[in-house]
Amino acid sequence: MDTLEQLVHYVTQNGGYIWVQFYRHFLMAAYGVLFAAIISIPLGILIAKYGKLSSWVLALGSIIQTIPALGAMAVIMIVLGLGTNTVIITLMLYSILPIVQNTYVGMKDVDKTIIEAGFASGMTRFQLLRMVELPLAISVIMAGIRTALVIGIGIAAIGAFVGAGGLGSIILTGTNATDGTAIILAGAIPTALMAIIADLIMGWIERKLQPIKTSKSRTA
Amino acid sequence: MLKKIVYKGIMIVLLLVALAGCSLPGLASTTKDTIKIGALATSESRIFAEILAIMIERETDASTELVTHLGSSIVQHQGMLRGDLDITSTRYTGTDLSGALGMDPVTDPEEALDIVTKEFQDQFNETWTAPYGFENSYSVAVTTEFAEEHNIETISDLEPFADELHFGVDNSWVNRKGDGYDGFQESYFSFGHVFPMNIGLVYQAAATGHMDAVLAYSSDGRIKEFDLKVLEDDQRFFPPYDASAVIDNKVLEKYPEIAAITERLHDQISTETMQELNYKADVQLMNPQKVAMEFLEANNFFEDMEKGEN
Repeated sequence: MDTLEQLVHYVTQNGGYIWVQFYRHFLMAAYGVLFAAIISIPLGILIAKYGKLSSWVLALGSIIQTIPALGAMAVIMIVLGLGTNTVIITLMLYSILPIVQNTYVGMKDVDKTIIEAGFASGMTRFQLLRMVELPLAISVIMAGIRTALVIGIGIAAIGAFVGAGGLGSIILTGTNATDGTAIILAGAIPTALMAIIADLIMGWIERKLQPIKTSKSRTA
Repeated sequence: MLKKIVYKGIMIVLLLVALAGCSLPGLASTTKDTIKIGALATSESRIFAEILAIMIERETDASTELVTHLGSSIVQHQGMLRGDLDITSTRYTGTDLSGALGMDPVTDPEEALDIVTKEFQDQFNETWTAPYGFENSYSVAVTTEFAEEHNIETISDLEPFADELHFGVDNSWVNRKGDGYDGFQESYFSFGHVFPMNIGLVYQAAATGHMDAVLAYSSDGRIKEFDLKVLEDDQRFFPPYDASAVIDNKVLEKYPEIAAITERLHDQISTETMQELNYKADVQLMNPQKVAMEFLEANNFFEDMEKGEN
């Protein structure tokens, strides 16, 4: 059997199993990014307002990013034990930097004159944030979430090592088989597809949220 | 400003605590009655986890959840201690003797089994079940053709040829203390040419004639695939790696039926049978669950069970 034939054979035999792992994989990545967003967006807004903090927070985020994901996962496993929660927390840590950074940049990029105009028309600080700054920054923030999700889908693949399942477990099965290339592909191709699809969908949402609509000259 | 940071820190800690305590919708269906079965990334470990899961679901009212692809025996052990796992499907006497218990290797299989059974009961309140019957130990294999030609049955029979033989071994084995190549040379003899390589390659290397003898894992399905012959360890140099399940005593108290299940599996799977099951999963790419189901049906485990109930 050549690899392609084996791949088809494996997928037809284990279609249900692959789908279950696909769903599980996606949920892990999505939860990780969701929790990261809950923490990071307010944090990003905060450091945009209080500039002094920004270098510290961004540096800390970058430091987390340099730790190998497998190592971080192993340490978190000591506290949280085996299973999906460990993976979700690891993903959350790795998603903090892209989201904080983009929130920070998005907030900083808002034209000062618009804020002043809002302020002059009697808006409170919270109103300014909600009605002026956030809507203008949202597409940049979404770009950060998009990056985080794509990275997260990749990292979730190593979650199999801590018993969390996901498509990584199919890849691991393949590395253990004699000629497991087909099984590895059966795990790796859906992972890549998921990342591409997530990227496309998030990109579409990002464009929808763009505050300044593109001019009529662009046909698309 | 500082207050906000402190507040945020507290929030993060709270979130972590909340997360550690519960599971998220869609991810885990862990209830109190779910028995969590841990397995390594190897096919044989998966197959036994599936066998146990199928039997437990049939015999008891508990549901099961598999936690597969755990990195090593130590991860399994830690998972059991933490309560993340209730059962681990395959544990090997030799591995846990030196790993979990931190003792010196013992070459007598029964003595090794006695020690782990007793120590796991005393130290960890876990039951080491009666062995399945197969072992996954280091062994020396040659092609069947070569063995028949020179009438070789034991490792000692290889000695007259040793100087000219090419010996393919697992990278990690060469420098292993105790049961590694240094120890092997003391008990047996030296091979003329030793080639350390990835364990996945040795079987094929032997089959294609690149290697004359290889260090293999005795229950590996590739031994069957490539028509290799495992030689008898006549000097009893390699420590035993008999496979058993390990079960948390709390689970056994709650579901005494599980003890009957593992008792029924005792000595039912020979090393040759395990090679066949591994072959199905590793080479024919069958799903471990299907392999487990086929095995149980073919060996009438369900029928016996129904007879027992009546």
